[in-house]
Amino acid sequence: MTARLIMKLEVVAAEPTTPDVLRVVFRHPQRPELPEWTPGAHVDLRLPDGKVRQYSLCGDPADRARYTVAIKREAGGRGGSLWAHANLAEGGLAHVSAPRNNFPLAEGTRHILVAGGIGITPFVSMARSLAASGADFALHFCARSAAEAPLLDALRAVCGDRLHLWLSGEGRRLDPALIGPPAPGTHLYACGPQRLVDAVQARADADGWAPDHVHIERFAATLDENYKPEPFDARIASTGEVLHVPADRSLLEVLRENGFPVASSCEIGTCGTCECGYRNGTVIHRDHALPLAKRQDRMMPCVSRARVALTLDL
Amino acid sequence: MSEMPAPRMIEAFEHAAGSVARGVPGGAAGFRGELLHIHVAPAASYEMEALAEAECVAGRGIVGDRYFDGTGTYSPKPDTREVTLIEQEALDALARNDPPLQGGPIRLDPADHRRNLTVRGVPLNHLVGRRFRVGAVILRGGRLNFPCKYLEELLGLPVYLPLYNRSGLNCGIEVGGIIRPGDVIELLETP
Repeated sequence: MTARLIMKLEVVAAEPTTPDVLRVVFRHPQRPELPEWTPGAHVDLRLPDGKVRQYSLCGDPADRARYTVAIKREAGGRGGSLWAHANLAEGGLAHVSAPRNNFPLAEGTRHILVAGGIGITPFVSMARSLAASGADFALHFCARSAAEAPLLDALRAVCGDRLHLWLSGEGRRLDPALIGPPAPGTHLYACGPQRLVDAVQARADADGWAPDHVHIERFAATLDENYKPEPFDARIASTGEVLHVPADRSLLEVLRENGFPVASSCEIGTCGTCECGYRNGTVIHRDHALPLAKRQDRMMPCVSRARVALTLDL
Repeated sequence: MSEMPAPRMIEAFEHAAGSVARGVPGGAAGFRGELLHIHVAPAASYEMEALAEAECVAGRGIVGDRYFDGTGTYSPKPDTREVTLIEQEALDALARNDPPLQGGPIRLDPADHRRNLTVRGVPLNHLVGRRFRVGAVILRGGRLNFPCKYLEELLGLPVYLPLYNRSGLNCGIEVGGIIRPGDVIELLETP
Protein backbone atom coordinates (compact mmCIF):
# COMPACT_ATOMS: atom_id res chain seq x y z
CA MET A 1 0.00 0.00 0.00
CA THR A 2 1.27 3.39 -0.86
CA ALA A 3 -0.31 6.52 0.48
CA ARG A 4 -0.65 9.44 -1.86
CA LEU A 5 -1.02 13.10 -1.03
CA ILE A 6 -4.27 14.75 -2.06
CA MET A 7 -3.78 18.34 -3.19
CA LYS A 8 -6.18 21.17 -3.82
CA LEU A 9 -5.18 22.20 -7.35
CA GLU A 10 -6.26 25.14 -9.44
CA VAL A 11 -7.65 24.70 -12.95
CA VAL A 12 -5.58 26.90 -15.27
CA ALA A 13 -7.28 25.74 -18.47
CA ALA A 14 -10.34 23.66 -19.34
CA GLU A 15 -11.23 23.42 -23.00
CA PRO A 16 -12.70 20.78 -25.30
CA THR A 17 -10.26 18.72 -27.38
CA THR A 18 -13.20 16.97 -29.08
CA PRO A 19 -16.93 17.72 -28.70
CA ASP A 20 -17.19 15.44 -25.65
CA VAL A 21 -13.64 15.37 -24.25
CA LEU A 22 -12.51 18.14 -21.90
CA ARG A 23 -8.79 18.79 -21.57
CA VAL A 24 -8.02 20.13 -18.11
CA VAL A 25 -4.73 21.62 -16.93
CA PHE A 26 -4.01 21.93 -13.19
CA ARG A 27 -1.36 23.73 -11.19
CA HIS A 28 -0.68 24.06 -7.48
CA PRO A 29 -1.77 27.43 -6.10
CA GLN A 30 1.24 27.60 -3.71
CA ARG A 31 3.93 25.21 -4.92
CA PRO A 32 5.94 25.70 -8.10
CA GLU A 33 6.48 21.95 -8.51
CA LEU A 34 4.00 19.08 -8.39
CA PRO A 35 4.99 15.52 -7.43
CA GLU A 36 6.92 13.71 -10.16
CA TRP A 37 5.39 11.14 -12.51
CA THR A 38 6.35 8.79 -15.30
CA PRO A 39 4.56 8.07 -18.62
CA GLY A 40 1.42 5.98 -18.12
CA ALA A 41 0.68 7.41 -14.65
CA HIS A 42 -2.75 8.55 -13.48
CA VAL A 43 -4.09 10.84 -10.78
CA ASP A 44 -7.24 10.49 -8.71
CA LEU A 45 -9.83 13.22 -8.97
CA ARG A 46 -11.82 13.43 -5.71
CA LEU A 47 -15.41 14.49 -6.21
CA PRO A 48 -17.25 16.50 -3.55
CA ASP A 49 -19.43 13.47 -2.72
CA GLY A 50 -16.33 11.46 -1.80
CA LYS A 51 -16.18 9.42 -5.01
CA VAL A 52 -12.80 8.98 -6.65
CA ARG A 53 -12.09 8.80 -10.38
CA GLN A 54 -8.81 7.98 -12.10
CA TYR A 55 -7.52 9.94 -15.09
CA SER A 56 -4.26 9.34 -16.95
CA LEU A 57 -1.87 12.24 -17.13
CA CYS A 58 -1.43 13.23 -20.76
CA GLY A 59 0.96 16.15 -20.49
CA ASP A 60 4.74 16.17 -20.36
CA PRO A 61 6.40 14.61 -17.26
CA ALA A 62 9.22 17.15 -17.61
CA ASP A 63 6.75 19.97 -16.96
CA ARG A 64 6.73 19.80 -13.16
CA ALA A 65 4.41 22.79 -12.82
CA ARG A 66 1.32 21.30 -14.43
CA TYR A 67 -0.82 18.18 -14.71
CA THR A 68 -2.98 17.68 -17.80
CA VAL A 69 -5.87 15.22 -18.05
CA ALA A 70 -8.52 14.57 -20.69
CA ILE A 71 -11.99 13.67 -19.43
CA LYS A 72 -14.67 12.20 -21.66
CA ARG A 73 -18.26 13.01 -20.86
CA GLU A 74 -19.88 9.64 -20.14
CA ALA A 75 -23.61 10.18 -19.89
CA GLY A 76 -24.08 6.54 -18.82
CA GLY A 77 -21.05 6.53 -16.52
CA ARG A 78 -20.81 6.64 -12.75
CA GLY A 79 -21.19 10.43 -12.58
CA GLY A 80 -17.55 11.54 -12.30
CA SER A 81 -17.17 12.81 -15.84
CA LEU A 82 -20.47 14.71 -15.74
CA TRP A 83 -19.36 16.44 -12.55
CA ALA A 84 -15.99 17.28 -14.12
CA HIS A 85 -17.53 18.69 -17.31
CA ALA A 86 -20.00 20.78 -15.33
CA ASN A 87 -17.59 22.05 -12.67
CA LEU A 88 -14.00 22.18 -13.88
CA ALA A 89 -13.46 25.66 -15.26
CA GLU A 90 -10.52 28.05 -15.32
CA GLY A 91 -9.84 29.44 -11.85
CA GLY A 92 -11.74 26.61 -10.11
CA LEU A 93 -10.28 24.24 -7.52
CA ALA A 94 -10.35 20.45 -7.37
CA HIS A 95 -8.87 17.78 -5.13
CA VAL A 96 -6.30 15.80 -7.10
CA SER A 97 -4.00 13.08 -5.76
CA ALA A 98 -0.30 12.68 -6.38
CA PRO A 99 0.27 10.43 -9.42
CA ARG A 100 0.64 6.67 -9.42
CA ASN A 101 1.70 4.47 -12.32
CA ASN A 102 -0.01 1.11 -12.83
CA PHE A 103 0.68 1.18 -16.57
CA PRO A 104 4.38 1.93 -16.98
CA LEU A 105 6.44 1.40 -20.11
CA ALA A 106 8.31 -1.90 -19.93
CA GLU A 107 12.01 -2.33 -20.64
CA GLY A 108 11.93 -3.41 -24.27
CA THR A 109 13.22 -2.80 -27.77
CA ARG A 110 9.86 -2.43 -29.53
CA HIS A 111 6.49 -1.21 -28.24
CA ILE A 112 3.08 -1.69 -29.86
CA LEU A 113 0.46 0.63 -28.36
CA VAL A 114 -3.25 0.10 -29.07
CA ALA A 115 -5.72 2.77 -27.98
CA GLY A 116 -9.45 3.17 -28.42
CA GLY A 117 -11.11 6.58 -27.99
CA ILE A 118 -10.39 8.17 -24.62
CA GLY A 119 -8.08 5.20 -23.91
CA ILE A 120 -5.47 7.23 -25.78
CA THR A 121 -4.68 9.33 -22.71
CA PRO A 122 -1.89 7.24 -21.10
CA PHE A 123 -0.24 6.77 -24.51
CA VAL A 124 0.35 10.46 -25.14
CA SER A 125 3.14 10.70 -22.56
CA MET A 126 4.34 7.17 -23.36
CA ALA A 127 4.66 7.99 -27.07
CA ARG A 128 6.44 11.23 -26.25
CA SER A 129 8.91 9.38 -24.07
CA LEU A 130 9.48 6.62 -26.65
CA ALA A 131 9.94 9.16 -29.43
CA ALA A 132 12.39 11.18 -27.32
CA SER A 133 14.53 8.13 -26.61
CA GLY A 134 14.46 7.03 -30.25
CA ALA A 135 12.67 3.79 -29.37
CA ASP A 136 10.96 1.64 -31.97
CA PHE A 137 7.20 1.94 -31.52
CA ALA A 138 3.84 2.01 -33.28
CA LEU A 139 0.67 3.60 -31.94
CA HIS A 140 -2.65 2.26 -33.23
CA PHE A 141 -5.44 4.70 -32.42
CA CYS A 142 -9.04 3.63 -32.99
CA ALA A 143 -11.79 6.26 -33.05
CA ARG A 144 -14.99 7.03 -34.87
CA SER A 145 -13.67 10.05 -36.75
CA ALA A 146 -10.70 12.41 -36.62
CA ALA A 147 -12.96 15.05 -35.03
CA GLU A 148 -13.80 12.60 -32.23
CA ALA A 149 -10.21 11.41 -31.67
CA PRO A 150 -8.95 13.16 -28.51
CA LEU A 151 -5.54 14.88 -28.49
CA LEU A 152 -4.98 14.01 -32.15
CA ASP A 153 -2.91 17.07 -33.03
CA ALA A 154 -0.47 16.47 -30.20
CA LEU A 155 -0.15 12.79 -31.17
CA ARG A 156 0.52 13.58 -34.81
CA ALA A 157 3.26 15.97 -33.80
CA VAL A 158 4.86 13.43 -31.45
CA CYS A 159 4.47 10.25 -33.50
CA GLY A 160 4.60 11.29 -37.14
CA ASP A 161 4.18 8.20 -39.31
CA ARG A 162 4.34 5.91 -36.27
CA LEU A 163 0.72 6.90 -35.64
CA HIS A 164 -1.80 4.59 -37.32
CA LEU A 165 -5.28 6.01 -37.24
CA TRP A 166 -8.21 3.59 -37.50
CA LEU A 167 -11.41 5.57 -38.08
CA SER A 168 -14.50 3.40 -38.10
CA GLY A 169 -16.55 6.23 -39.65
CA GLU A 170 -14.33 5.94 -42.71
CA GLY A 171 -14.62 2.17 -42.73
CA ARG A 172 -11.08 1.58 -41.41
CA ARG A 173 -11.02 -0.72 -38.40
CA LEU A 174 -8.00 -2.19 -36.68
CA ASP A 175 -7.52 -5.88 -37.41
CA PRO A 176 -5.91 -7.30 -34.24
CA ALA A 177 -3.99 -9.71 -36.49
CA LEU A 178 -1.84 -6.69 -37.40
CA ILE A 179 -0.30 -6.89 -33.94
CA GLY A 180 1.57 -9.94 -35.12
CA PRO A 181 3.33 -12.69 -33.22
CA PRO A 182 5.44 -12.06 -30.11
CA ALA A 183 9.12 -11.26 -30.53
CA PRO A 184 11.90 -10.93 -27.96
CA GLY A 185 11.90 -7.45 -26.45
CA THR A 186 8.53 -6.51 -27.95
CA HIS A 187 5.80 -5.29 -25.60
CA LEU A 188 2.12 -4.84 -26.34
CA TYR A 189 -0.08 -2.30 -24.55
CA ALA A 190 -3.81 -1.69 -24.86
CA CYS A 191 -6.18 0.81 -23.32
CA GLY A 192 -9.73 1.60 -24.34
CA PRO A 193 -13.23 0.15 -24.46
CA GLN A 194 -13.68 -3.36 -23.05
CA ARG A 195 -14.41 -4.75 -26.53
CA LEU A 196 -11.15 -3.47 -27.94
CA VAL A 197 -8.90 -4.56 -25.07
CA ASP A 198 -10.62 -7.96 -24.99
CA ALA A 199 -9.96 -8.37 -28.73
CA VAL A 200 -6.30 -7.40 -28.26
CA GLN A 201 -5.92 -9.75 -25.29
CA ALA A 202 -7.60 -12.61 -27.17
CA ARG A 203 -5.35 -12.11 -30.18
CA ALA A 204 -2.25 -11.94 -27.99
CA ASP A 205 -3.28 -15.14 -26.20
CA ALA A 206 -3.95 -16.90 -29.49
CA ASP A 207 -0.57 -15.81 -30.87
CA GLY A 208 1.27 -16.98 -27.78
CA TRP A 209 2.33 -13.64 -26.25
CA ALA A 210 3.80 -14.03 -22.75
CA PRO A 211 1.53 -12.45 -20.09
CA ASP A 212 4.36 -10.21 -18.86
CA HIS A 213 4.76 -8.70 -22.33
CA VAL A 214 1.08 -7.72 -22.63
CA HIS A 215 -0.03 -4.66 -20.65
CA ILE A 216 -3.71 -3.82 -20.43
CA GLU A 217 -5.08 -0.72 -18.69
CA ARG A 218 -8.72 -1.04 -17.69
CA PHE A 219 -10.74 1.93 -16.58
CA ALA A 220 -13.74 0.04 -15.25
CA ALA A 221 -13.93 -2.92 -12.94
CA THR A 222 -15.57 -5.90 -14.56
CA LEU A 223 -18.33 -7.14 -12.34
CA ASP A 224 -19.03 -10.80 -12.27
CA GLU A 225 -22.78 -11.10 -11.80
CA ASN A 226 -22.44 -14.72 -10.76
CA TYR A 227 -19.99 -14.15 -7.94
CA LYS A 228 -21.48 -14.82 -4.50
CA PRO A 229 -19.33 -13.51 -1.64
CA GLU A 230 -18.89 -15.89 1.30
CA PRO A 231 -17.90 -15.01 4.87
CA PHE A 232 -14.31 -15.71 5.97
CA ASP A 233 -11.87 -15.02 8.81
CA ALA A 234 -8.81 -12.81 8.52
CA ARG A 235 -6.00 -13.39 11.01
CA ILE A 236 -3.63 -10.47 11.63
CA ALA A 237 -0.07 -11.82 11.61
CA SER A 238 1.39 -9.21 13.98
CA THR A 239 -1.23 -9.44 16.72
CA GLY A 240 -2.92 -12.80 16.24
CA GLU A 241 -6.32 -11.09 16.17
CA VAL A 242 -8.94 -12.88 14.09
CA LEU A 243 -11.45 -10.65 12.30
CA HIS A 244 -14.61 -12.07 10.85
CA VAL A 245 -15.58 -10.72 7.42
CA PRO A 246 -19.30 -11.26 6.77
CA ALA A 247 -20.51 -11.95 3.23
CA ASP A 248 -21.90 -8.45 2.83
CA ARG A 249 -18.78 -6.57 4.01
CA SER A 250 -15.42 -6.05 2.35
CA LEU A 251 -12.17 -7.03 4.03
CA LEU A 252 -11.13 -3.38 3.76
CA GLU A 253 -14.19 -2.22 5.72
CA VAL A 254 -13.63 -4.79 8.45
CA LEU A 255 -9.94 -3.85 8.76
CA ARG A 256 -10.81 -0.17 9.11
CA GLU A 257 -13.49 -0.85 11.65
CA ASN A 258 -10.96 -2.70 13.78
CA GLY A 259 -8.40 0.07 13.76
CA PHE A 260 -6.14 -1.04 10.91
CA PRO A 261 -5.68 2.04 8.76
CA VAL A 262 -5.48 0.89 5.15
CA ALA A 263 -5.36 3.66 2.56
CA SER A 264 -7.77 3.19 -0.31
CA SER A 265 -8.98 5.08 -3.32
CA CYS A 266 -11.19 3.54 -6.00
CA GLU A 267 -12.48 0.66 -3.83
CA ILE A 268 -13.42 -1.22 -7.00
CA GLY A 269 -10.15 -3.07 -7.51
CA THR A 270 -8.58 -0.93 -10.22
CA CYS A 271 -6.28 1.59 -8.57
CA GLY A 272 -4.04 -0.58 -6.37
CA THR A 273 -3.97 1.75 -3.35
CA CYS A 274 -5.11 -0.72 -0.70
CA GLU A 275 -2.66 -3.48 -1.64
CA CYS A 276 -1.50 -5.61 1.28
CA GLY A 277 0.35 -8.84 1.84
CA TYR A 278 -0.98 -12.19 2.99
CA ARG A 279 0.72 -15.39 4.13
CA ASN A 280 -1.57 -18.33 3.99
CA GLY A 281 -5.07 -19.00 2.84
CA THR A 282 -6.72 -19.18 -0.54
CA VAL A 283 -7.40 -15.70 -1.80
CA ILE A 284 -10.10 -15.00 -4.35
CA HIS A 285 -8.56 -12.19 -6.37
CA ARG A 286 -11.22 -9.95 -7.88
CA ASP A 287 -9.16 -6.86 -8.70
CA HIS A 288 -7.66 -5.61 -11.95
CA ALA A 289 -4.60 -4.02 -10.43
CA LEU A 290 -2.29 -6.83 -9.28
CA PRO A 291 -0.18 -8.62 -11.87
CA LEU A 292 -0.39 -12.39 -11.80
CA ALA A 293 3.12 -12.75 -10.39
CA LYS A 294 2.22 -10.81 -7.23
CA ARG A 295 -1.01 -12.61 -6.47
CA GLN A 296 0.60 -15.40 -4.50
CA ASP A 297 1.32 -13.08 -1.57
CA ARG A 298 -0.37 -9.72 -2.26
CA MET A 299 -4.03 -8.81 -2.46
CA MET A 300 -6.48 -5.89 -2.74
CA PRO A 301 -8.76 -6.01 0.32
CA CYS A 302 -11.33 -3.66 -1.25
CA VAL A 303 -12.71 -6.35 -3.57
CA SER A 304 -10.71 -9.55 -2.97
CA ARG A 305 -11.73 -12.14 -0.43
CA ALA A 306 -10.62 -15.52 0.87
CA ARG A 307 -11.92 -19.04 1.06
CA VAL A 308 -12.65 -19.76 4.75
CA ALA A 309 -9.58 -18.02 6.22
CA LEU A 310 -6.33 -16.20 5.52
CA THR A 311 -3.48 -14.55 7.41
CA LEU A 312 -2.72 -10.92 6.59
CA ASP A 313 0.77 -9.42 6.82
CA LEU A 314 -0.37 -6.53 8.98
CA MET B 1 -13.51 6.95 0.80
CA SER B 2 -15.59 5.25 3.46
CA GLU B 3 -16.87 6.88 6.60
CA MET B 4 -14.52 6.77 9.55
CA PRO B 5 -15.77 6.12 13.08
CA ALA B 6 -16.17 9.13 15.39
CA PRO B 7 -12.93 10.21 17.11
CA ARG B 8 -12.00 8.28 20.21
CA MET B 9 -9.55 10.41 22.15
CA ILE B 10 -7.64 9.38 25.23
CA GLU B 11 -7.34 12.26 27.68
CA ALA B 12 -3.70 13.37 27.67
CA PHE B 13 -3.00 12.72 31.34
CA GLU B 14 -4.71 9.33 31.13
CA HIS B 15 -2.47 8.23 28.26
CA ALA B 16 -0.01 5.48 29.17
CA ALA B 17 2.88 7.91 28.66
CA GLY B 18 1.35 11.13 29.97
CA SER B 19 0.02 9.56 33.16
CA VAL B 20 3.47 8.29 34.14
CA ALA B 21 5.34 11.45 33.15
CA ARG B 22 2.92 13.56 35.16
CA GLY B 23 4.04 11.95 38.40
CA VAL B 24 7.75 12.40 37.71
CA PRO B 25 9.48 15.67 38.53
CA GLY B 26 11.60 17.45 35.95
CA GLY B 27 11.07 19.05 32.60
CA ALA B 28 11.99 22.45 31.27
CA ALA B 29 10.67 25.60 32.88
CA GLY B 30 11.08 29.25 32.06
CA PHE B 31 10.93 28.97 28.29
CA ARG B 32 8.93 31.45 26.28
CA GLY B 33 8.24 30.03 22.83
CA GLU B 34 6.22 31.14 19.86
CA LEU B 35 3.57 29.60 17.66
CA LEU B 36 4.84 29.95 14.07
CA HIS B 37 2.25 28.15 11.93
CA ILE B 38 -1.13 26.43 12.20
CA HIS B 39 -2.02 23.70 9.72
CA VAL B 40 -5.04 21.43 9.36
CA ALA B 41 -6.12 18.84 6.79
CA PRO B 42 -9.76 17.97 6.09
CA ALA B 43 -9.13 14.21 5.88
CA ALA B 44 -6.43 11.54 5.71
CA SER B 45 -3.88 12.16 2.93
CA TYR B 46 -5.24 15.62 2.13
CA GLU B 47 -2.60 18.29 1.90
CA MET B 48 -2.33 20.47 5.01
CA GLU B 49 -3.69 24.02 4.76
CA ALA B 50 -2.33 27.00 6.69
CA LEU B 51 -4.70 28.92 8.96
CA ALA B 52 -4.34 32.50 10.19
CA GLU B 53 -6.33 31.51 13.27
CA ALA B 54 -7.86 28.32 14.53
CA GLU B 55 -10.47 27.28 17.05
CA CYS B 56 -9.37 24.65 19.58
CA VAL B 57 -12.13 22.64 21.23
CA ALA B 58 -11.39 21.00 24.57
CA GLY B 59 -11.46 17.21 24.42
CA ARG B 60 -11.75 17.13 20.66
CA GLY B 61 -9.27 19.03 18.49
CA ILE B 62 -8.86 21.88 16.02
CA VAL B 63 -11.98 22.76 14.05
CA GLY B 64 -11.47 21.70 10.43
CA ASP B 65 -8.79 19.11 11.15
CA ARG B 66 -9.09 15.43 10.31
CA TYR B 67 -8.64 14.40 13.95
CA PHE B 68 -11.40 16.78 15.03
CA ASP B 69 -13.67 15.19 12.42
CA GLY B 70 -12.53 11.61 12.97
CA THR B 71 -11.36 11.26 9.35
CA GLY B 72 -7.61 10.94 10.02
CA THR B 73 -5.49 7.96 9.08
CA TYR B 74 -5.26 6.93 12.72
CA SER B 75 -8.68 8.15 13.87
CA PRO B 76 -10.00 4.61 14.41
CA LYS B 77 -7.26 4.01 17.01
CA PRO B 78 -8.04 5.53 20.43
CA ASP B 79 -5.16 7.86 21.25
CA THR B 80 -4.21 11.38 22.28
CA ARG B 81 -4.08 13.45 19.11
CA GLU B 82 -6.35 16.45 19.57
CA VAL B 83 -3.45 18.72 18.64
CA THR B 84 0.03 17.77 17.41
CA LEU B 85 3.07 20.03 17.62
CA ILE B 86 6.57 19.94 16.16
CA GLU B 87 9.63 22.09 16.79
CA GLN B 88 10.91 24.36 14.04
CA GLU B 89 14.35 23.48 15.47
CA ALA B 90 13.79 19.81 14.47
CA LEU B 91 12.92 20.88 10.93
CA ASP B 92 16.01 23.08 10.86
CA ALA B 93 18.13 20.08 11.92
CA LEU B 94 16.69 17.99 9.07
CA ALA B 95 17.49 20.80 6.67
CA ARG B 96 21.16 20.72 7.71
CA ASN B 97 21.27 16.89 7.80
CA ASP B 98 22.08 16.84 11.50
CA PRO B 99 22.74 14.12 12.61
CA PRO B 100 23.63 12.76 9.16
CA LEU B 101 21.03 9.98 9.10
CA GLN B 102 19.75 10.74 5.66
CA GLY B 103 21.22 10.98 2.16
CA GLY B 104 21.38 14.75 2.42
CA PRO B 105 19.48 17.73 3.77
CA ILE B 106 15.70 17.26 3.86
CA ARG B 107 13.53 20.30 3.56
CA LEU B 108 10.30 19.68 5.42
CA ASP B 109 8.06 22.70 5.07
CA PRO B 110 5.45 23.51 7.73
CA ALA B 111 2.73 22.36 5.31
CA ASP B 112 4.44 18.99 4.83
CA HIS B 113 5.15 17.51 8.25
CA ARG B 114 1.43 17.00 9.02
CA ARG B 115 1.61 18.21 12.63
CA ASN B 116 -0.87 20.99 13.45
CA LEU B 117 1.38 23.52 15.13
CA THR B 118 4.93 24.47 14.23
CA VAL B 119 6.57 26.10 17.24
CA ARG B 120 9.92 27.71 18.07
CA GLY B 121 11.61 27.82 21.45
CA VAL B 122 9.44 25.12 23.01
CA PRO B 123 11.16 21.96 24.37
CA LEU B 124 8.38 19.59 23.30
CA ASN B 125 10.14 16.41 24.44
CA HIS B 126 10.02 17.77 28.01
CA LEU B 127 6.30 18.43 27.99
CA VAL B 128 4.80 14.95 28.29
CA GLY B 129 2.65 15.04 31.43
CA ARG B 130 2.89 18.87 31.61
CA ARG B 131 0.44 21.69 31.02
CA PHE B 132 1.34 24.68 28.89
CA ARG B 133 -0.45 27.52 27.19
CA VAL B 134 -0.56 28.60 23.54
CA GLY B 135 -2.03 32.08 23.75
CA ALA B 136 -5.18 31.59 25.80
CA VAL B 137 -5.51 27.89 25.01
CA ILE B 138 -4.22 25.35 27.53
CA LEU B 139 -2.75 22.09 26.25
CA ARG B 140 -1.67 18.92 28.06
CA GLY B 141 1.24 16.86 26.73
CA GLY B 142 0.01 13.27 26.35
CA ARG B 143 2.83 11.47 24.57
CA LEU B 144 5.76 11.95 22.26
CA ASN B 145 4.82 11.90 18.61
CA PHE B 146 6.28 9.06 16.58
CA PRO B 147 7.22 9.28 12.91
CA CYS B 148 5.24 6.98 10.64
CA LYS B 149 5.91 5.20 7.38
CA TYR B 150 2.68 6.68 6.11
CA LEU B 151 4.27 10.14 6.19
CA GLU B 152 7.27 8.86 4.24
CA GLU B 153 4.98 7.46 1.58
CA LEU B 154 2.93 10.63 1.33
CA LEU B 155 5.98 12.83 1.02
CA GLY B 156 8.17 10.45 -0.93
CA LEU B 157 10.94 11.50 1.49
CA PRO B 158 12.92 9.26 3.89
CA VAL B 159 11.91 11.14 7.06
CA TYR B 160 11.19 8.18 9.34
CA LEU B 161 14.61 7.79 10.96
CA PRO B 162 15.55 11.50 10.81
CA LEU B 163 12.36 12.41 12.72
CA TYR B 164 12.80 9.71 15.34
CA ASN B 165 12.69 11.26 18.85
CA ARG B 166 12.05 14.75 17.50
CA SER B 167 8.76 14.11 15.79
CA GLY B 168 6.87 16.38 18.19
CA LEU B 169 4.20 16.09 20.84
CA ASN B 170 0.61 14.84 20.89
CA CYS B 171 -1.61 16.91 23.15
CA GLY B 172 -5.06 17.11 24.57
CA ILE B 173 -6.88 20.43 24.94
CA GLU B 174 -7.72 21.36 28.52
CA VAL B 175 -9.08 24.84 27.77
CA GLY B 176 -10.16 25.64 24.23
CA GLY B 177 -10.17 28.95 22.39
CA ILE B 178 -8.68 30.76 19.41
CA ILE B 179 -4.97 30.50 18.58
CA ARG B 180 -2.98 32.52 16.07
CA PRO B 181 0.60 32.45 14.76
CA GLY B 182 2.64 34.68 17.06
CA ASP B 183 0.93 33.41 20.22
CA VAL B 184 3.25 32.95 23.18
CA ILE B 185 3.84 29.41 24.50
CA GLU B 186 4.72 28.96 28.19
CA LEU B 187 4.79 26.22 30.80
CA LEU B 188 1.97 26.20 33.36
CA GLU B 189 1.91 24.47 36.69
CA THR B 190 0.77 20.88 36.64
CA PRO B 191 -1.35 20.19 39.69
